[in-house]
Amino acid sequence: MSRRWVRRILEYGVTLFAAVSINFLLPRAMPGDPLALIAGDAVRQMGAERIAQLRSAYGLDRPLIEQYALYLGRLARGDLGTSYRYSGGRTVIQVLADRFTWTFFLVTVSLALAALAGSALGVWAALRRGRSGDLGLLTVIFTLKSIPPFWLAMILIPIFAVNLGWLPSGDSYSIPRPTGLAGVTDVLRHAVLPMGVLTLSYLPTSFAVMRSTMSSVLGADYIRTARAKGLRRGLVILRHAMRNALLPVVTSLSLDFGQLLGGVTLIETVFNYRGLGGMMFEAVKSRDYPLLQGGFLLFTLGVLGVNLLTDWLYPRLDPRLREQPA
Amino acid sequence: MKTRTLVLSLSASSQSRPAFRRRPGLPHLAGAGGLAILVSLSILAAWPSGLAPYDPTLTVGRPLQKPNPEFRLGTNDIGQDLLSELIWGTRISLGTGLIVATLAVVIGTAVGLAAGYTNNLFSGILMRLADLTLVLPFLPLVILLSAYLGPSQRNVILILTLVSWAGPARLIRAQVLSLVNERFVEAARAMGADRVRILIDHILPGVASIAGLQFVLVAASSILAEASLSFLGLGNPTAKSWGVMLYFARASGAFLGESWRWWVLPAGVMITLSVLSLVLIGFALEQRFEPGARGRWNLLRRGS
Repeated sequence: MSRRWVRRILEYGVTLFAAVSINFLLPRAMPGDPLALIAGDAVRQMGAERIAQLRSAYGLDRPLIEQYALYLGRLARGDLGTSYRYSGGRTVIQVLADRFTWTFFLVTVSLALAALAGSALGVWAALRRGRSGDLGLLTVIFTLKSIPPFWLAMILIPIFAVNLGWLPSGDSYSIPRPTGLAGVTDVLRHAVLPMGVLTLSYLPTSFAVMRSTMSSVLGADYIRTARAKGLRRGLVILRHAMRNALLPVVTSLSLDFGQLLGGVTLIETVFNYRGLGGMMFEAVKSRDYPLLQGGFLLFTLGVLGVNLLTDWLYPRLDPRLREQPA
Repeated sequence: MKTRTLVLSLSASSQSRPAFRRRPGLPHLAGAGGLAILVSLSILAAWPSGLAPYDPTLTVGRPLQKPNPEFRLGTNDIGQDLLSELIWGTRISLGTGLIVATLAVVIGTAVGLAAGYTNNLFSGILMRLADLTLVLPFLPLVILLSAYLGPSQRNVILILTLVSWAGPARLIRAQVLSLVNERFVEAARAMGADRVRILIDHILPGVASIAGLQFVLVAASSILAEASLSFLGLGNPTAKSWGVMLYFARASGAFLGESWRWWVLPAGVMITLSVLSLVLIGFALEQRFEPGARGRWNLLRRGS
């Protein structure tokens, strides 16, 4: 393994450590009983015996540094606590695993759609830079970026789900849940609206990056050379220009992944979707702190995972970035 | 952490395609339009008591009325006038955005200057902290913090500042680093200007445009973030912001009936207009200050 990778992984480790420390310190830095802030509102319904037991399990009477060691130990064993109220005493890990799939489904498909559509539009606009088509599209994108996605969801539901009745208004599937092929179409139908909103909210990023990269690439010498050789315009754009412009799109999407993930929280909330975002909202409402912390940790892991993937993917997409053999 | 060096812009790389030059009016038009919207909204924010027909905190009619001559946008679930809520909301939403932007840019500029101009352990730690803030998932972090700090307007401002200073700090540091190696700074140093003098006379003017642009962009993203937080019930529920309106609209299922047209629609249009006005001004500023440069079109890249 090269030094670059060692360094990278060290940096990711630091971020993860910071996220874990935020989780550890927040409940303990607040005024009030830390146990209530660690375990959530559930403490109110517990007997004195159970409270004492939890208190010693978390080591709340011991110095902070020992508490931290205990905390890390539990974490290493995959123990994120129990979600007391909202999920009927299931462990946080169980709830997260359950919820993760739905969010993963929404986010990956929407990101892919947004990257494709945004890039296509970006190329289209770059070829017409400064002309009316470009400016019109630019206006649309500016507006799109200014619209709160959760509000967009709130006006699409009455239109498409209530008035037109084309699509379901919420949830991830119908109840009772259909089986077989009907089950698959059911899930897809439920995903259309949330995915549409999410895609629209991701679109401006890839559009802006593709449009600006493309317009500078189009002015490059090698493009002129390719045209001068007599290659067709479409071929030059597709093979020579777009290949180079794709890389920044991937980079910007991965760099902004932490920001892009936010939108899913709100959209899942509006649609009562069964993903991590909807879970965060429920956890806030019922003061289910273990669940909230677990959600934050998983989101952080998601961001780091995507960054790591991009780092790995990069030299494969761009030969210039391949490491020189030492 | 990966530094965000890959900043791309909507602005033209001016030599390659001179199309924008033929239309020098475009950024001006965008800026003027944005400014016009912002000024109109500021009037609402400055003088809501004169413009709103009712006190938005009082029950003034039957609940859940449709729009009628008495209540132009109808009433909410407890009989408050929705139009008055909408007008008063301007102050809170716009105000929060501007306060957060001021705090974040002041802190970001201070940190960026310190980290760019000195090279010691402290500034190194500050920049690592900035990197960390930038990579952590924005909204989940904000949700976690607000869940612990409790819902209040002060906490919303505090939390949003806490997550917004890092972007400006990074960009300003980068600008300082490129400025200190410029010829004119070298010349000033050669003529015996001390460090403070160089900082004030030569570096500060060079970062002012970036700070200004960042102010506009942070304000825009903070307005969106405040609305998101309030919508999740993490803002101050007694403050009449647009996000809080949407929170209550959702809680009473307004978007499932027909009342979405006067309860949900206007509040979102107001949020969109506020953010859009700042985006347009930001676009104009970017074109003005860094034409053709690889500008920092962060707003288009920052979701909320």
